[in-house]
Amino acid sequence: MRIGVYVCHCGLNIAGVLEPSSLTEFAKTLPDVEVARDLQFTCSDTGQETIKEDIVEHKLDSVVVAACSPRLHEPTFRRVISEAGLNPFMLEMANIREQCSWVHMDEPPQAQEKAKDLIRMAVAKAALLNPLQGETMPVSRGVLIVGGGVAGIQAALDLADSGLHVYLVERKPTIGGYMALLTDVFPTNDCSICVLAPKMTDVYNHPLITLMTYAEILNIEGSVGRFTVSGVKKARFVDEKLCKGCINECAGVCPVEVPDEYEFGLGKRKAIYMPIPQSVPLIACVDPEACIGCGLCSEACPVDAVKYDQRQEEFRFDVGAIIVATGWQSFDPARKEEYGYGRFRDVITGLQVERLLNAAGPTGGEVVRPSTGEVAKSVAFLQCVGSRDETVGNQYCSRVCCMYALKNAPLIKEKYPDAEVSIHYIDLRAGGEGYEEFYMRAQRLGVNFIRGRVSEVEKVDGHLRVNYEDTLLGGFRSKPYDLVVLSAGLEANKEADVIGNLLGLSKRPDRFFEIAHPKMRPVEAHIDGVFIAGCASGPKEIQVSIAQGEAAAAKSMRLLLRGELTLDPVVAMVDTEKCIGCKLCVETCPSKAISVDKTALVDEAACKGCGTCAAACPVDAIDMRLFSDEQILAQVRAATAVKGQYPFIVGFLCNWCSYAGADLAGTSRIQYPTNMRAIRVMCAGRVDPAFVIEALKGGADGVLISGCRLGECHYSKGNYQAYQRVQVLRGVLEKVGINPGRVKIVWCAASEGEILAKEVRTFVRELKEMGPVGTELRVLGVPEPPGGDR
Amino acid sequence: MKLAYYPGCVARSTGREYEISTLAVCRALGVELEEIDDWNCCGATHVSNEIVSTALAARNLVRTELPVMASCSICYSRLRAAMIRLKDRKVRERVNEALEVKYEGEKDVEHVIETITKSLGEAEDLEDLVVRPLAGLKAAPYYGCLLTRPGGGIDSPENPSILENLIRTLGAEPTDFRLKMKCCCGPIFMPEEEAAAETLIRILRNAKESGADFVVALCPLCHLMLDANQPLLEKKFGEKIDLPILYVTQMAGLALGLGAEELGLEMNSVSTRSVLEKLEAAEGEGAEKELC
Ligand SMILES: Cc1cc2nc3c(=O)[nH]c(=O)nc-3n(C[C@H](O)[C@H](O)[C@H](O)COP(=O)(O)OP(=O)(O)OC[C@H]3O[C@@H](n4cnc5c(N)ncnc54)[C@H](O)[C@@H]3O)c2cc1C
Ligand code: SF4
Repeated sequence: MRIGVYVCHCGLNIAGVLEPSSLTEFAKTLPDVEVARDLQFTCSDTGQETIKEDIVEHKLDSVVVAACSPRLHEPTFRRVISEAGLNPFMLEMANIREQCSWVHMDEPPQAQEKAKDLIRMAVAKAALLNPLQGETMPVSRGVLIVGGGVAGIQAALDLADSGLHVYLVERKPTIGGYMALLTDVFPTNDCSICVLAPKMTDVYNHPLITLMTYAEILNIEGSVGRFTVSGVKKARFVDEKLCKGCINECAGVCPVEVPDEYEFGLGKRKAIYMPIPQSVPLIACVDPEACIGCGLCSEACPVDAVKYDQRQEEFRFDVGAIIVATGWQSFDPARKEEYGYGRFRDVITGLQVERLLNAAGPTGGEVVRPSTGEVAKSVAFLQCVGSRDETVGNQYCSRVCCMYALKNAPLIKEKYPDAEVSIHYIDLRAGGEGYEEFYMRAQRLGVNFIRGRVSEVEKVDGHLRVNYEDTLLGGFRSKPYDLVVLSAGLEANKEADVIGNLLGLSKRPDRFFEIAHPKMRPVEAHIDGVFIAGCASGPKEIQVSIAQGEAAAAKSMRLLLRGELTLDPVVAMVDTEKCIGCKLCVETCPSKAISVDKTALVDEAACKGCGTCAAACPVDAIDMRLFSDEQILAQVRAATAVKGQYPFIVGFLCNWCSYAGADLAGTSRIQYPTNMRAIRVMCAGRVDPAFVIEALKGGADGVLISGCRLGECHYSKGNYQAYQRVQVLRGVLEKVGINPGRVKIVWCAASEGEILAKEVRTFVRELKEMGPVGTELRVLGVPEPPGGDR
Repeated sequence: MKLAYYPGCVARSTGREYEISTLAVCRALGVELEEIDDWNCCGATHVSNEIVSTALAARNLVRTELPVMASCSICYSRLRAAMIRLKDRKVRERVNEALEVKYEGEKDVEHVIETITKSLGEAEDLEDLVVRPLAGLKAAPYYGCLLTRPGGGIDSPENPSILENLIRTLGAEPTDFRLKMKCCCGPIFMPEEEAAAETLIRILRNAKESGADFVVALCPLCHLMLDANQPLLEKKFGEKIDLPILYVTQMAGLALGLGAEELGLEMNSVSTRSVLEKLEAAEGEGAEKELC
């Protein structure tokens, strides 16, 4: 192996504390180093050219750049060496700026020693690097969209228009989701179905959209680029090709009436029915639960479309990406017993009032008391029912109910100017473009706003009374109303649980699907190739649901439009000779990338390279292509080769949070002791107990492992696994007489440079108290472990 | 069935008739009670200090291996609340520092209404126990606030039905008593007497309007507020209420055939004679019918 080492001055950023020229001289003494130079600014054009020339002239195999953080310039130098003909992965960086010169400004001599160690570690790893090739893989150009609400519809149209093939699978007999059932919608009060119906029809007519309604997905296999989806289309007992959608003929003669789920129980439908007049597809459906098989509809159908012997049909297709747009379900307001829903007929929900206000609804648009059928003269809206309420397990705000109450209260007021309409609220949340103006309009129209959570709804002498504390005027009040509307919150859709389980999606504590990062990756799931849009990832209004549908579509296009996928070569690989098929890795893998058929098999497209499996494997049969066991162990040995300082710490920092946190300590010039030699790993879960033992054996006084804060792991649960392993390891150490406090695991976010610095300071202090490694064994009279040469 | 009996302080003061009738009813139902040795306050007097009130309750719980029965809703609620708090490791550690016997696992704690309901439910022949069904009597089921709280216990905290069901089992008829869940105002009676009186009179009026012959109470504080207080309220509002307030155990005892004395009925402030008379009259009628 012929290695070139480049030590950067970075102006005075490095050279102000360290001596690059003597570091260069030091590098020249290391094995395999063919050439070493110090450069003013290695990332400058001149610096880059020097490296390139050296690669050619000295026939270098790999390159070490001792400069800033790899998180900053690794891509730059990978490009540079590949321009000179080297494989881009033949690069290793020693971080002597963010994690050395900037954080040890007051201790140049110790910093210099640390820099030497960091270079020795980098050279040791560089000697073991292998060229890696990101394989390309052809991908399916199809996209599955689960859920035909407004989010799914929008995603389907965007994708199909861009030339990808869409399979839109909807559980219900029609697409449209909840939006199809709402009356006018905020913030502009346009008629909901009028703006949605054209999109629904476009979906139906689009040549690149295969629409499957009344269908259930039963299985999803494979990974990004090549998922295989299968399921069934339930029998409608109506021939889709024959049915003309006239519905009156068949439903007119059907003798069975059941509560209409599309009217939220306010109206009735027949056993043969059309969900809504604008149903897409416009095909009747027989409800097998309700049908008594009398045959009247079949006789009445002018085109003989009713087929009682119809069977469900299976389907199966391949796609490259999946968009989960499974929406939400309503909080069951009967759970708030004090509000009397289900006991008092005139207590209804926000969704029910949407239907009452709808001209196509069960009352032709009249807002009536269900108990009497008379128009309600006084109406109360009760906010936050089932939201912001720990007694029902929902801490979160449902985000749209303030706005829909602010929409429906004025709609009632406009229709019946004499009606008394009040909104009982805790806070009114109208954040969004045009939303505050919407709120003010409701105020101008004379809607009453009463602040205070309602304590109960009771029925006194046949009349509803709302009891509450008015927290603005002070005092307890009781007010009679004709109609009470509960603004029930939005909950995670239970019907989507199957999909979540099939794909291995994780859920937040609020039970909605979790996105890969709460800010930065709003529509990506933890699983590659899977996106989440609309209310499936939390309550949101139509506008944002559409935006997310569009974003998920764009992400899918980016993934699939080229027709092939270049895979990241930093993945796990299995030594099938060693593998014993124990399946521990399958359980460990957060990306569901490993399967076992006698021996383990890594799906390289799905693997994200965290390395948790490699640390978990009991027989070392799994290793990583980069950050391999061999490379990390070589770094550990190089780190402990000299041990110029006491206490001496080997650190393992996860790339996403802790390493970035350490870099931040550098950019913020937070000073901390020079005792730690940090090794970058992709995830704290990568840290194999063997690495820790190697460090202690080599004479390190302590090992610090730092991962993302719990719950924030880039790979979802790697830090928990690291924690478990450390606990076990500490137990073992204690048994053999080594102070378990020598192995420490801490959490540090990328924004917490100060925390990382503090942890190092504390650990140094703790280790000083413990004394050099092995002290405890000497006390016990056990022979010292090898390597304890102090 | 054998249970540990937690009397609570009121049983030995203003609520003597509750204890008397509780012991009598349990005897009649074949429920053996073993009073917790050296019991102390349930913690209600120290609710403002979480650790003290929880430790007080815990000290009672650890003094027995048996499931614990309390008849006072406040005690019952405190014991349950303490068990919920004690699930928190930190609270448990702090509480255990103060206890000689440590609190380890959860206990079964029940209210006497559960004990009665369960015993009757398990009876092979209900008629053997309910020898004097309360036919013809109308009872207003008064829950008060603490029997069902903290939630997740006996019954729904907002709209429970366990008392109505018991009333029916005993042969009487529960009335539609809208204010059955209203607080008896015991805790605010001293500082907010006016507000408390207003609420109490509403509760009593509502119970009377519901057509009840008597109100059933589950808690000595509720009983005190509605029973002992009733003459004062009558005077204050210048109206006659005259509504007997029976403890659930007194009502059950009557149906089990126990005598007024055994149930301490003469100790109630509002005379319970009207109830007894109505019961006798109904029995007379029933007997006549049987004879014909
Ligand atoms: C009373 C009320 C009034 C509202 N008014 C407004 C308003 O005026 N303006 C506004 O912007 N927002 C309003 N909203 C919010 C609006 O309803 C949502 O923003 C919108 O429904 C979100 O669309 P979606 O596609 O994410 O979910 P959904 O509409 O819930 O659609 C999800 C679809 O996925 C399907 N599905 C679920 N699981 C599966 C599965 N396993 N397989 C196949 N298909 C599945 C469902 O059947 C459904 O068709 C209101 C909400 C309420 C409760
Ligand atoms: S949107 Fe308004 S009503 Fe809905 S939960 Fe949030 S604050 Fe409550």
